[in-house]
Amino acid sequence: MRKTKYIGSGGLAFDEEKDMERLSKYASEGWILEKFAFLGFKLRKGKSESVDFSVAYESDPDEDYFAYFEAAGWKHVCSTGNYIHIFSAPKNTTPIYTDKASIFDKYEKEKRKMADIAFPSLIFMAILFILESLSNLSWVADVVGTISLVLACLTLIVLVFTGLPYFGYQYKLYKLRK
Amino acid sequence: MPRNDALENGELTDTSYYILLSLVEPKHGYLIMNTVEQMTDKRIQIGPASMYTTIKKLSAASLIKLYGEGEKKKKTYVITEKGRKMLESEIERKREMVRHGEEILLQLKEMGS
Repeated sequence: MRKTKYIGSGGLAFDEEKDMERLSKYASEGWILEKFAFLGFKLRKGKSESVDFSVAYESDPDEDYFAYFEAAGWKHVCSTGNYIHIFSAPKNTTPIYTDKASIFDKYEKEKRKMADIAFPSLIFMAILFILESLSNLSWVADVVGTISLVLACLTLIVLVFTGLPYFGYQYKLYKLRK
Repeated sequence: MPRNDALENGELTDTSYYILLSLVEPKHGYLIMNTVEQMTDKRIQIGPASMYTTIKKLSAASLIKLYGEGEKKKKTYVITEKGRKMLESEIERKREMVRHGEEILLQLKEMGS
């Protein structure tokens, strides 16, 4: 029998709560979250646990950060990029975010981070498309058009992975404001 | 920075208020959590992520400062002069709010009788 399992993630910007509920359900069936995987999570077979999972964002946290969580009963499970951290705790432990102001901060910071990449890449892509269409003119070499098109496609990937989360966080903030 | 909005307006969130209150004496973060829980009979609970971000925010606004590093690099914080003043004006603000409420309630009672 397999010891590890991969599950896809809906993207933390959109499906954070749903993802955490799924992890909790898997844990109750003995599939315990081990680490982040590409566009998802890696689980390992173990003893079934009745736990809740929560995501926190903090770049470069110090030792105190994890000490606070531990003292509050939240076990650090895994992190990615020294930035996104997942914790687990027995059900009904005090949530990791308890006031609206800090929940708001959490998503506001994320949104800005995404915007910092999404907007420049949007502009860059627009320039590339202009270059590409210019290459149809006789005085611009064809190779300029080809390179522009390839670069534009790559930029589009970046744009999708930052622009969509941007709107995801925007929507979360909108719901919080109501 | 929009993050410090509430602080710059001179208003404290409940979390910030209780953190400041418990830092009249130097404390480590998780001791703050316990102190606030005891003080409020568990009515106010501060989760670790909220605690960490609020401490950072209060430090950035110079309302609290690093007091020292204890064993295992555990940082302790203490309220500053600025923080104390902020706390006093917040208590005054809250006192006024309570007074308004009580006045209205009293009027209602008098009208009823």
